[in-house]
Amino acid sequence: MGPEVILLLLGEAVMVFGALGIIRFPDVYTRLHAATKCDTGGAMSIILYLVITMDAPALVRAKFLVLAFLIAMMNPMVSHALARGAYRYGVKPEVVVDMYAWDNP
Amino acid sequence: MAQEGLLVSAFYILVFTAVLITYRVLRGPTLPDRVVGLNTITTKIVVIIAIVSVMRGEYYLIDLAIVLLMVNSVGGLILAKYMERRGGSGA
Repeated sequence: MGPEVILLLLGEAVMVFGALGIIRFPDVYTRLHAATKCDTGGAMSIILYLVITMDAPALVRAKFLVLAFLIAMMNPMVSHALARGAYRYGVKPEVVVDMYAWDNP
Repeated sequence: MAQEGLLVSAFYILVFTAVLITYRVLRGPTLPDRVVGLNTITTKIVVIIAIVSVMRGEYYLIDLAIVLLMVNSVGGLILAKYMERRGGSGA
């Protein structure tokens, strides 16, 4: 056990608070905000902890780094597409200012 | 040893958060809520597979995690495109 345990604890805390946000937030877009933070930050932190602490050949570590890179690339893309699809589907955001409606009348 | 206990506790915390988000999947008011919950649960399962792969020392499971992540992202994009094209009937 060294200072790299901080990565694991940070990832777990981000996962738990992201789940609480998905349950408790009032709207699709705020829930999507919590889900994106939880997925990308928490998952990459935990996988970096695994890469640092495990004893395995270099090819296996490279595979874990490829997994972290793919999470960092694909997860924001899917979240962006889901927000756009939810707006076109007809879910109105519960906010005062709706800037997407200003830009796309 | 200590590291094994840390990984087991991380595994159980991830399973607990996945069970919490299942509430949003079952009882989401609209379709996009359920899709957001399913994407989050699948990413948690990818991390769970990575932790189990390190814990048991069976490193071929990481290929399974990479393939599951790719399938999840393509499925999310297809569901977003479906919601975008259907439109109009959301609550």
